[in-house]
Amino acid sequence: MSDTPILETRDLTKQFGALTANDRISFSVSAGEIRGIIGPNGSGKTTFFNSLTGFYQPDGGTVLFDGTDVTGWKPFRIARRGMGRTFQIVSPFKNMTVRQNLKAVHTPDDLDDKEARIDEILEFLEIDHIAENKARGMSGGQQKLLELGRILMLDPSCILLDEPTAGVNPALEKRIMGHIRALNEQGTTFVIIEHDMSVMRAVADSVTVLDQGQNIVEGPFDEVKDDPRVREAYLGRHADDEGVPI
Amino acid sequence: MSADMEPDRLVARDIVTGYDEHEVLHGVSIESHDGVTCIFGPNGSGKSTLMKTLNGVVPLWSGSLHYGDVDITDAPPEEIVPTGIATLPQGGGVFGTLTVEENLRIGGFTVSDQAVVEERIEDVLEAFPDLREKLDTNARSLSGGQQMMVSLGRAMMTGADTYLLDEPSAGLSPALVDDAFDLVRTLVDRGAQIVLIEQNVTAALRLADYVYILAEGTLQFEGPPSELSDESELMELYLGL
Amino acid sequence: MSAERTDESGQRGLRARVDAFTAREDAWKWTFGAAVVLLALLPLGLNSFWTRIALGALMWVGLAQSWNMIGGYAGYLDFGHGAYFGVGGFVTGIVMVKLSLPFIPGLLLAGVAGAALAYVIGVPTLRLKGSYFAIATWAFAEAMKQLALILGITGGTFGMSLPTAASSFGIPIPGGLSETFFYYVMAALSLGTVLLSYLVLEHSEFGYRVQAVRDDENAAESLGIDTTRVKRQVYVLSCVIAALFGSVYAYHITFIHPNDVLGSLITDQMVIMVLLGGLGTIYGPVVGGLTVFLLSRMSSLFLGSSTIYLPLIGVLIMLVVLFAPSGIVGLLNGQTSRADVKKNVHELADKFDLL
Repeated sequence: MSDTPILETRDLTKQFGALTANDRISFSVSAGEIRGIIGPNGSGKTTFFNSLTGFYQPDGGTVLFDGTDVTGWKPFRIARRGMGRTFQIVSPFKNMTVRQNLKAVHTPDDLDDKEARIDEILEFLEIDHIAENKARGMSGGQQKLLELGRILMLDPSCILLDEPTAGVNPALEKRIMGHIRALNEQGTTFVIIEHDMSVMRAVADSVTVLDQGQNIVEGPFDEVKDDPRVREAYLGRHADDEGVPI
Repeated sequence: MSADMEPDRLVARDIVTGYDEHEVLHGVSIESHDGVTCIFGPNGSGKSTLMKTLNGVVPLWSGSLHYGDVDITDAPPEEIVPTGIATLPQGGGVFGTLTVEENLRIGGFTVSDQAVVEERIEDVLEAFPDLREKLDTNARSLSGGQQMMVSLGRAMMTGADTYLLDEPSAGLSPALVDDAFDLVRTLVDRGAQIVLIEQNVTAALRLADYVYILAEGTLQFEGPPSELSDESELMELYLGL
Repeated sequence: MSAERTDESGQRGLRARVDAFTAREDAWKWTFGAAVVLLALLPLGLNSFWTRIALGALMWVGLAQSWNMIGGYAGYLDFGHGAYFGVGGFVTGIVMVKLSLPFIPGLLLAGVAGAALAYVIGVPTLRLKGSYFAIATWAFAEAMKQLALILGITGGTFGMSLPTAASSFGIPIPGGLSETFFYYVMAALSLGTVLLSYLVLEHSEFGYRVQAVRDDENAAESLGIDTTRVKRQVYVLSCVIAALFGSVYAYHITFIHPNDVLGSLITDQMVIMVLLGGLGTIYGPVVGGLTVFLLSRMSSLFLGSSTIYLPLIGVLIMLVVLFAPSGIVGLLNGQTSRADVKKNVHELADKFDLL
């Protein structure tokens, strides 16, 4: 892990009318890290991903990817730069085959053999046997793997995963985690939003906690989970509580 | 209600259900207890799905649901209400453009005997005296706390013995949360059973007589709140660790 | 792929043989080759009247195919597409009449005008989604029609006459040959459009990107696809083709009026043909185009009314949308099976407590 952050935000803010979904979030991830993002519902996690990847135009602050200011760039440009992301609801290109799904992805101009790369990825994810199947008929699990495969076609240096294990059976969960670790060992940085805390604890190097749009605490999972601010975020506040900073 | 007769219990056994192919609850069993039964869980735990299963909105894939002797496993919501269960949706569901009295009368819509309706309105006003002078006021002009009274009162009009409450503290400021829970207590004092799902564990623990903690679709804990004094353990259970 | 379908409910015989054929890599070449030969020889066996009908059918298949590019493959339901047909016609007319140029420059300028206009209209409208895009493009088409009705250069409410093929070539050409000439032009344009669709939209990376935009625009964007550019490119392509057809049509029919060539019926017919045939498929516009066009001509001939086919088509559309959403092609290639149709019928009947 190097010192220069691969992904950094400074006071990133996003508002929707009166609601401040992301409130001056400052955050930085080192290359090669697996960073988790947790927080109760409505804390602004997905909004944060959207602001990082250009789907939302931030109202304030900056996003730096690999040293470049990418604040407000269009999503496809950020993707081409090497930051891939998934969406909470898995959505393959239903009317195309698995292979065509991968072929549609933009690849760097210096990629000589796109077909070979596709084959490589299909093999790595162990979905080569369904390469010619239409994405429409695939099981939820296969769709998740296809989604990962599509992102890998971008050859990203950083991948943002939004609830990768949602709705996934234990066997598939293990497989996905295995792939994440393997890719991480090759140097890919991951930022993962998760609700499944056992997954988070097992895979994340450290964790950032968001609550009500703010970055409230960061650190290793076990430390963070015992932090009173995190406890309060998840378990709620009580008007009588003493000594709880608001 | 006097304590010589065991009240009807809402009993859910081994509930497995979900949406489309996605299983959300993996065999959950809960039961209503005297007073307030709280169901806690983070988002994604399946607690909203559980609530919807209890009031008949989401069908079960397997398992059973009984209220007293009555099997309500496959019953749609309109068949569950007459058995004595009333549901309060998140936000209360109060009809803002109607007066307090109109709201209460709508609650008594299924009651055919007019005398019973009048009796119950009187009951509600006894429980929540603040409403007496607001009977002709449009519900939306009421304070948050008073709206909750209308919501609870309207549910009382069905003559229910068991109330299912969906996150009554949602959207309320910390000070109001206490008031809201005090109102829930009022219902309990009049003999009702309450099953309540809540996000705000800290506040609701003070109200609870029995607790279930749900995470990732399975029960992590059940028991009286006294067994949850260790905050660290509570956090672990809540996060499903 | 064919293996699944031959096993499904024991379908054998014709279906299996069709599937086996379509699964072949070179099936397309054989089909296309056969079509070229057939269409080349067809006029030899037809009189002038039937040649004209064939010509019309070919034009509509091509127009439907062009709409299919933006509506079916890209998923942007363009309700102003017909305007480009009219624009192509009027630009050709203006070039030939006011500038006294022959047809070919007229044709080329029609294409250029179509491209330029599509670019200008596309930039703001393609930002819109779904119904908003449909309404915006519809409004644009209406505006074009009104403009043409007012402007002197397009003949205003009197329409515009173009020089006949006979007169522009300088030598008298007997009527029959004139039909045949236009038949071959339309056939070439139509076959070219289908071939283009096949190569560009079904089997190229660009085509996959277009379909990605249709299937999930956000996901496509997150995968490095410049969706704005892709949409604009396919929109311009589809509009240029419509303009070229309009150009040939104008030259053929020699008289165009805004209410005809810029009317919404042109767009409506294109849409209906593709929906009926199968949205986003290569054969859909062919099947749908032929069906609707021939139905309209037949009803003119045998039922004496040129509009009676419209309610007929309306009913067909309803049936397709309700029970077989992938159109005729979907029924034929197994995407919508008998079981699916039954399911759709039951779902609808349930909603109205009919069964």
